[in-house]
Amino acid sequence: MELQRIGIKLFADSPAPVPVRDFIPVFHSWIQKQAIEHHLLIDVHNYSHIHNGPGILLVAQEGNFSIDMAEGRMGLLYYRKKSGTDVASVLKTALAACKLLESDPAFGGRLRFRTDEMWIITNDRLLAPNNDPTFEELKPSIAAALKLVLPEGKFKYMRSSINPKDRLAIHVQTA
Amino acid sequence: MPTWEEKLADRIDPQLADEINVFETEIQLRKQGKLDEKVFAETRLRRGAYGQRYDNGHRNDGIRSQELKYTTDLTKGPDTLWDAPGMQRIKIPFGGLNPDQMDTLADLSEEYADSVLHITTRQDFQFHFVHIDDTPTLMRRLGAVGITTREACGNSIRNVTACPLAGVCRTEVFDVVPYAKASAKFMLGHPDAQGFGRKFKIAFSGCEAEACGLVNMHDLGAIAVKRIENGKERRGFELYVGGGLGAVPHDAKLFDPFLPEEELLPITQAIARVFARLGEKKNRAQARVKFLVAKLGIEEFRRLVLEERKILPHDPRWTSYLAHRDHDTEKPLKAPSHLNGQKRPEGFDAWYATNVYRQKQDGYVVASITVPLGDLSSWQMRELAQIARRFSGDSVRTTVEQNMLFRWVSESDLVALYLELQRIGLNEPGAGTIVDITACPGTDTCKLGIASSRGLAAELSKRLAAKSFNLDQSVKNLRIKISGCFNSCGQHHISDLGFYGVSRNINNRKVPHFQVVLGGQWQNNAGAYGLALISIPSKRIPDVVERITERFVRERQHTESFQSFIKRIGKRELARMLEDLTQVPSFEADPSFYSDWGDPRVYTIGDMGVGECAGEVISVSQFEMVAAERLVFEGQLSLDDGDYVRADANAYDAMLQAALSLVKEEFMDVPNEPDRVVSEFRTRFYDTNLLGDRYAGSKFAQYLFKRHDSPPTEHTQDQAHRIVEEAQLFIEAAHAGHDILAERRNKLP
Repeated sequence: MELQRIGIKLFADSPAPVPVRDFIPVFHSWIQKQAIEHHLLIDVHNYSHIHNGPGILLVAQEGNFSIDMAEGRMGLLYYRKKSGTDVASVLKTALAACKLLESDPAFGGRLRFRTDEMWIITNDRLLAPNNDPTFEELKPSIAAALKLVLPEGKFKYMRSSINPKDRLAIHVQTA
Repeated sequence: MPTWEEKLADRIDPQLADEINVFETEIQLRKQGKLDEKVFAETRLRRGAYGQRYDNGHRNDGIRSQELKYTTDLTKGPDTLWDAPGMQRIKIPFGGLNPDQMDTLADLSEEYADSVLHITTRQDFQFHFVHIDDTPTLMRRLGAVGITTREACGNSIRNVTACPLAGVCRTEVFDVVPYAKASAKFMLGHPDAQGFGRKFKIAFSGCEAEACGLVNMHDLGAIAVKRIENGKERRGFELYVGGGLGAVPHDAKLFDPFLPEEELLPITQAIARVFARLGEKKNRAQARVKFLVAKLGIEEFRRLVLEERKILPHDPRWTSYLAHRDHDTEKPLKAPSHLNGQKRPEGFDAWYATNVYRQKQDGYVVASITVPLGDLSSWQMRELAQIARRFSGDSVRTTVEQNMLFRWVSESDLVALYLELQRIGLNEPGAGTIVDITACPGTDTCKLGIASSRGLAAELSKRLAAKSFNLDQSVKNLRIKISGCFNSCGQHHISDLGFYGVSRNINNRKVPHFQVVLGGQWQNNAGAYGLALISIPSKRIPDVVERITERFVRERQHTESFQSFIKRIGKRELARMLEDLTQVPSFEADPSFYSDWGDPRVYTIGDMGVGECAGEVISVSQFEMVAAERLVFEGQLSLDDGDYVRADANAYDAMLQAALSLVKEEFMDVPNEPDRVVSEFRTRFYDTNLLGDRYAGSKFAQYLFKRHDSPPTEHTQDQAHRIVEEAQLFIEAAHAGHDILAERRNKLP
């Protein structure tokens, strides 16, 4: 299955809550420096007024980054929009963005992201309907990507929702 | 794996499916450089695909103007890059939605946009950050649930709006929904509405006194009225034309105090024809119908429309919908009931006080869902669809105040509904009060935005909500509306406190400001327009709101309205009381004044672009030529597929279409019948040698005549190849013919 639209959410794990609006100037500074490799960073959008919504959005031509608040859990969500990619490279981009945030002086070392838990979302209801066969088909490539990018981890995989209206989202956790 | 097109083939109206296929082909033609960027721009605008801020490839990042290097230089319109994210507007006639449509909207916002659905001030939805290549599929998926994006933008008839309470309102004369629905359907893609120089907006209202459809600010507005004639009750409309906001708002003029219901559609059609024929085409700033009405005077405009009405060929659709207009009503999901002392959760009473409207049908209520800045997440929308299935059914509405309504809720369900809304963070009270602020996209995404209307709205809303319990009732009932520029998409002219973005040069730096607009009236169908009083730095607008509302509470006389209070105090005094707020500290003393709300960048207006709201002025003939180009392209594809019969048919149709485009320059109402088109083309352009090529004489015309008079008896590759080539040459000749006609027109005194 050749998926173009994949999303990965890495959860924030910070000792103290970080106000979501604090990410606005940081994302603007990323645009000034075009800080993400192979990405044309375009604009920042404030959605912090939406309950459990996309929070702060950084729009790029290749994919969008957001400080996502879905289910009330803050995390960095990267949605790949452009073709010519795979799960491993999407994960690498998401991890690179997390590292950049963790090291940003604006957060004074308060911000950390977990790599022992993540959501992998297939953002294409045609190619990847939310059902068991698609899940089973995708699992090996996701496992291979995780082994490549996070070789020290041992993971288990679960479907986040069985509602066929939802996208296929896979909850990845350390086994 | 089937495509969406294949998967949804039997669920889309065939005409809509064809239109989307045409649009997809036009995308391909543009990519191949075979379609002019201006023509393509208007084509996509008429499909609701808009440009967005920074799509010219430049953005000020707070330090410098940065070039955004997209992967291709291809454009989708003048100064609009192909790969730049765009906006997709989705028409929702009269704001009516059902749960399946809500689910689809949620899905599409996730897969093609940024997982956010934005409700507009015309009951539409907008998706932002959409790639143009994704739009045909997005449109097909919408089409499968009965939604179109056609004519959501561009110089066309925009979304037909109506009072969201229509059908359940306690003060309405009758339900205007069947009429709004019929108007939207009848005028969608109507040939008489394709040659406008600007957009055209229609609204319906069930009564005169409430705000409802905001008829006064529309190009065409209809208020429900009844009359007794010969002892029999007749339905009709008080019909208005030529209203509009924009930089200089115009009050609509009364066209007819009682237009019988059966005349609604033919008169709308006649108005469209007069507007298309006589409306300004070159100067967009003067091209709305309000300028034509002002120029001609309402009496002359009315006379021309009635003359046009007399010569309209009869159309059965004018009245066919009336036969079932009383049966086309919503059915409640549950039996009526009452609250009757149910235990109320915390927060319920405040929500009930502002967000619940008792329907005229006993035991049913309308629940307003306050949507902050008109933004919903895809998850919230999907949850709302489920909640609607449980409590409201197919009776959901969007509102021009960027909220949603659940109608036909059985009253005893309100507590359960409230708890469900609370679960998804949509239980805020204050719908239709001062905390429920309307704002256009402004500098967030609009190319024309000057200041951050959404940023200001969010700030004001936060501050007012924090003290809402202590606000005087007279202040709670006021409305605030904000536009990012003078174009009034946020409808600042018709609010109690209106603001629109401007820029001021202070200390050699740009400072975002807002003009304060006072005296507007939301009630009485946008009964009065406010006037700009003074410009105040953006960061001091919250002080303006506080100062004016506090004085209103302090000095209000008895039940004096806010408009009366403003009038009594007078502009001079109001300006005096706000004058000190105009001061801007130096950048060194307080740099925050030099940035806009929610945006840390140093403020600039360098990112403003050329707006697309006006669309590109493309004649009907040019659209015919686009169709001809598309058909010959399809002929090439058929040839490649070895389908010679189809290739021949495509090529022939392409020539007919090009000929039709020329004939229409002289004979607008030519019937679209091959014999007639060819005959008119022969008489007008061939016999007169008008299109005689300098080198080839009239041979290109012969290609059409030959194919028309002698269709091939057998279809071979050679024959198909030849006719496709001939069709291409004929189209080139037709283009040249249009140039000749244009030159002749320009030489006319």
